[in-house]
Amino acid sequence: MNDESTTVVADLEAGIGTLTRLASASVDATVVVVEPTLRSIDVARRAVAVADEQRQGRVVVVANKVGDDEDRARIDEAFAGRRMVVVPDDPAVDTADRLGVSPVDHEPGAPAVAALESLVEALGLAS
Amino acid sequence: MSVTGSLAESASMIRVAFVGKGGAGKSTIAGTFARLLARRGQPVLALDSDPMPGLPYSLGVGVDDHPIPDDVVVAGPEGGPRWVLRPGLDAAAIVDRYAARCPDGVRYLQFGNLWGHVVRLQQAQHAWSQVVEELDRDSWHLVGDLPGGTRQAMFGWGKYADTVCVVVEPTVKSMHTARRLLTLSGARWGPSRLVLVVNKARDGSDAARVSERLGLEAAAVVPHDGTAGRADRRGAAPLDSAPGGPLAGAVDGLVDHVVSLYSLGREVTQ
Amino acid sequence: MKIAVVGKGGAGKTTTSAVLARTLGRRGARVVALDCDTNPNLGLSLGVGDSETERLLTLREEVGDGAADHAPTWEDILDRYGADAPDGVRLSVITRIENPEPG
Repeated sequence: MNDESTTVVADLEAGIGTLTRLASASVDATVVVVEPTLRSIDVARRAVAVADEQRQGRVVVVANKVGDDEDRARIDEAFAGRRMVVVPDDPAVDTADRLGVSPVDHEPGAPAVAALESLVEALGLAS
Repeated sequence: MSVTGSLAESASMIRVAFVGKGGAGKSTIAGTFARLLARRGQPVLALDSDPMPGLPYSLGVGVDDHPIPDDVVVAGPEGGPRWVLRPGLDAAAIVDRYAARCPDGVRYLQFGNLWGHVVRLQQAQHAWSQVVEELDRDSWHLVGDLPGGTRQAMFGWGKYADTVCVVVEPTVKSMHTARRLLTLSGARWGPSRLVLVVNKARDGSDAARVSERLGLEAAAVVPHDGTAGRADRRGAAPLDSAPGGPLAGAVDGLVDHVVSLYSLGREVTQ
Repeated sequence: MKIAVVGKGGAGKTTTSAVLARTLGRRGARVVALDCDTNPNLGLSLGVGDSETERLLTLREEVGDGAADHAPTWEDILDRYGADAPDGVRLSVITRIENPEPG
């Protein structure tokens, strides 16, 4: 696991419980995924604060399911000045979820998939 | 999977817990359920064990911070629980003082709100658990909301309930979670009645697909409703933003169904 | 390089983790996708399918129940309790459910 040539992407449990229990500086980057609902923004703000406080590497906010200007404004207000990837609300992802397949396989060129691919650059991992 | 109906016929107060994958709509449906039951003239206590509470929004009390203060507990006896309610305080008194007052007369008890480290909530969690354990069974209908996923269910946080309501949206992930929850609830909380609610159904085939996959008929099917989704994004309670909407209608039907599982008086059934 | 992905349930954590892992894999990185949820669903979004996702859960439960031998190294764990996903990504769902805290 400490092998430098391996990239580990850890999908943590929902909420911020695991993040609060993680020893400080355990990871090199923290991706905080948020949808434009009040509750999701609330959870994400706390996650960002805990990740900063515990020095869990570079923090990138993924603003998911952004459907209109109102959504965008709500996210921008909550995460002003943060490194961010904006992912549009995309029926292709809903369909993939309903089918239980990867969105990458279901529709590789879907707008949400393309936006999520740019997370690699936002994390500074592009070679 | 066994669906049991072996509860004592005398059980008259509803004790229901809502579980499901995160984002399936548990809090929205649980809060609406609590208010619609209260509108039938019933005393309803809404229980929230989510350290990131969502229930206040659908209950219509907005601000999600209604904690039980730490000083309601003192260190427990040696060999016993770590914290116990302070002498002179009992479950009824805690509900009276600290359960938030919500629209339609619902009372709402949470153990607090996780801002930083989990350890901060321990006293309130002990108080909450003791209240739920010791509360007079004839005083309140209990409508509980667990956090998304399987962790709390696995550790018995919903064991106050004798009816477990599994909320599912028609995605494969949500059905996976539901199947695990149905097994866990049957095995560890039993005997409990299992009730399936299909949320965000786009057409009739969605509910049929979920029912077939989980081997359980849906007691309620809540249609996908774009308008409700927009209101939810702003944190509005569906009963306030769309009182006559499809969600309110479907959940009222769910209340009818759950009421019918108990020996409640005829006046509760609308 | 270790990356943690967090958020409220239903926000799209798993979809984000899966697309990130597969994109990195496709670009030639050696990637391990780690499902740390007590309710693991990452396999679905990575594209390993329904039955393989369930099989990994069953293995995880054996470990939790102490029915399986203790795997000595991470490599070993990934070998035994993992699955190959497309784009060269290795999926592992091994998690200890270490404490009964509520969230």
